[in-house]
Amino acid sequence: MLEHAMVVLQPYSLLTILIGTIAGVAIGGMPGLTATMAVGLLVPFTYTMDPALGLMLLGGIYCGAMYGGSIPAILLNTPGTPAAVATAIEGFPMSQKGKAGLALKVSVVASFVGGFFSVIILLLFAPLLARQALNFGPPETFLLALMGLAGIISIADENSSLIKALIAGLLGMVIAIVGTDDMSGSLRYTMGYIELIDGIDFMPALIGLFSMIQMLELAGMRKKHEIDVSALHKKQRNDPLPKGIFKYIAVGAGTGTVIGVLPGEGATIAAFISYNVSKRISKVKELFGKGNPEGIAAAEAGNNGCVGGSLVPTLTLGIPGNSVAAALMGAFIIHGMIPGPDLFNEYADRTYPFIMSMFIANGVFLIVGLTIAPYLARIALIPPAILVPVVSAFAVLGSYALNNAVFDVFLMIAFAGFGLILKKLGFSLEALILGLILGPIAEGGFSQGMIIGKGSPWIFFESNIAKIMWVLIILLLVPPLYSYWKNTAMVKAPSLDDQD
Amino acid sequence: MAKRHLDRIVLVGFAVMAVLLFISTASYPGIAQKTSALYVKFLAASMGILAVVQLGFSIFRDNDTGKLHFTDHMPRFFGLLIALIIFGAVFEYVGFFISAGLFIPVVAVLLGYRNYLVIALTTVSVLAFVYLVFEKLLAVNLPGFSL
Repeated sequence: MLEHAMVVLQPYSLLTILIGTIAGVAIGGMPGLTATMAVGLLVPFTYTMDPALGLMLLGGIYCGAMYGGSIPAILLNTPGTPAAVATAIEGFPMSQKGKAGLALKVSVVASFVGGFFSVIILLLFAPLLARQALNFGPPETFLLALMGLAGIISIADENSSLIKALIAGLLGMVIAIVGTDDMSGSLRYTMGYIELIDGIDFMPALIGLFSMIQMLELAGMRKKHEIDVSALHKKQRNDPLPKGIFKYIAVGAGTGTVIGVLPGEGATIAAFISYNVSKRISKVKELFGKGNPEGIAAAEAGNNGCVGGSLVPTLTLGIPGNSVAAALMGAFIIHGMIPGPDLFNEYADRTYPFIMSMFIANGVFLIVGLTIAPYLARIALIPPAILVPVVSAFAVLGSYALNNAVFDVFLMIAFAGFGLILKKLGFSLEALILGLILGPIAEGGFSQGMIIGKGSPWIFFESNIAKIMWVLIILLLVPPLYSYWKNTAMVKAPSLDDQD
Repeated sequence: MAKRHLDRIVLVGFAVMAVLLFISTASYPGIAQKTSALYVKFLAASMGILAVVQLGFSIFRDNDTGKLHFTDHMPRFFGLLIALIIFGAVFEYVGFFISAGLFIPVVAVLLGYRNYLVIALTTVSVLAFVYLVFEKLLAVNLPGFSL
C-alpha cells in the first residue's frame, strides 16, 4: 500500500490531480456541462498518457465536478450539475440573506467528508468484492450483467416510462451486438463497414449522448436563462459551521455511498434522497426551502458520497454505478485494464494509486472551495454561444482521437441526433448507454454458459452464487417497481377525483 | 408533427427492427445457433413485445395532442448540426487547427454572439491549448493539413 501511496505523492501525480480537480470544479460550475460529459470527452485523450496519471486526471475531474456544481447553485441559483439542484433549494436563499459564505463552507466541507468517506469504502470493500469475482463463471457473469440491467428499472421516472426505459436498455444491447460474433467469428450487421468489425465503440456513443445532445439543446434555446447575480454583489458574512451539522453530513455521506453502489442510481438521486432524509430527521423542518444549511450538508455529502460508491461495482464487477462511472470504465478499458479481480492484482500499481488519488482530489477541492469559490461562480456566466462551439470542437476531437477514425465522429453525431429524438420522446439515454456497455458482458456470459450447460438454461440457476445473485436481482427490482407502481397510482388517483 | 405520432412511428420502427433481428438469427452459422442466436432472439422478442405494448398504451391511452418541441430556434439548432457534419467531413483533410479555427467563430456568430474580440481570443486560446496540451504534451495524433 505504501508504494502505491508514494506513486500518488510524486510531483507529477500531484500536479495531475490538481489540474484534474480544478478543471472538474470549473466544469461542474458551468451549467450544461456535467461530470459525465467532462470525463467522457477527456477519456480518449488519456490514451497516450501514462495510465496511472490518466486515471488520476479523470478521478480528479469526477471529484471536482461533483463539488463544483454547488458553487453557482448557491450563489446564482443555477445548479452547475443536476446533482446540485437540491443544494440550490437551500443555498440560494442563504445567499440572498447574506449567508453565502456559510452556505459555501457547509457545501465544501460536506462534499469533502462525503467524498472522502466513499473513497475509504471503495478502498476497503472493492478488493474484497473483486476477490469474490474470481469465483464467477460465465453463468454468474451473465447474471452480473442482468443485475446491472436491473438498474434500468430504477432509471424510469416521471420523464421516462418504465417500458420506454426497458426498450432503451434493450436498444443499447442490440446496438452492442453489431460486429464480430465471438462464438462463430462471423460478422453481424456491419453493413459492409470495416469500422464496425470490432463493434460500436461506446465512447463516441457516450460523447454523442451526453455531450453533443446538451450542446444541441443549448444552441436551440431562444430565451437566455436569466441568472440572478445579486448575491455576488451582496456583502456576505462568513459564519462558523453550525452545531450539529455533521449529523446531516454523516447521513448524506452514508446514503450517497450506498446509493452510489446500486447500479443505475446516480448522484442526483443520491443528493435528493439524502436531502429528504435530512428533512425528515431535522428539528427545524419548517426552515427547509428557506435556506437551511442542514439541507446543503446532506445533499452535498450525498452527491459526493456517490463518487466512491459508484466505483465499487464498476472496478470490481464491471457494472458501472452511473454514467460517469461508465465513462471511467471506458478509460480503464482503453488502457487495457478490464474491470474485475485483475485490477487489484495485475494492475494494482495503477488501480490503487487511482483510488488513493481521490483522497488528494477531495483535499484539493476543499482548499479551492474554502478560498476561491465565490470567484469560480463567475464561470457560470460564460455565454452558451461561446461554450457550445468549444465543447462541440472537443466532442469531435475526442470521438476522433480514440481510433483516429472520422467514422467515429459521424457515429457520435448520429448518436446525438437519434438520442435527442429518443430523449424528447421520453426514452432514457442512461438506460441506452447501460445496455450498450453491459450487452457484450451479458452476451459473452450467456453464450459461454449455454455451452457449459450443453444448451440447458438451468446452468444459470445451478451454483449457490447464481442463486444468491437471483435473489439480489429480485431485491434490486422490487423496491423501484413498487415505488413506480405507487407513483403511477398516485398520479392516477387525483385525475379520478377530478372527474368526480 | 404531434409528439404521439412520432412516438408511434419510432415504436413501430423498433417493432419492425425486432422482427427483422429475430428473422436474421436463422442465418447464424454452426455453434452460434445454440448460443448467440438464442441471445439475439431473446433481445428481439423482448424488444418487440415491449414496443408493441407501449404502442398499445400510446394508441389507447395517450390523448396528448401536443406537438413535439425539438428546439426553440430551428436555424441555430440545424446550423450547429450542419456545421458539425461539415467539421467532421473536412477535419481529416484540412486538419484540426484550420477546421476548428473556422468552426468555433462561425458557430459562435451563428448562435448570435457578436463580441468578435472574445470570439477571436476564445478560438486562439482553444487552439493553443489543444496544440500545447494534446499535441505536444500528450502526443495525441491530430490530423494535419493534407490537401
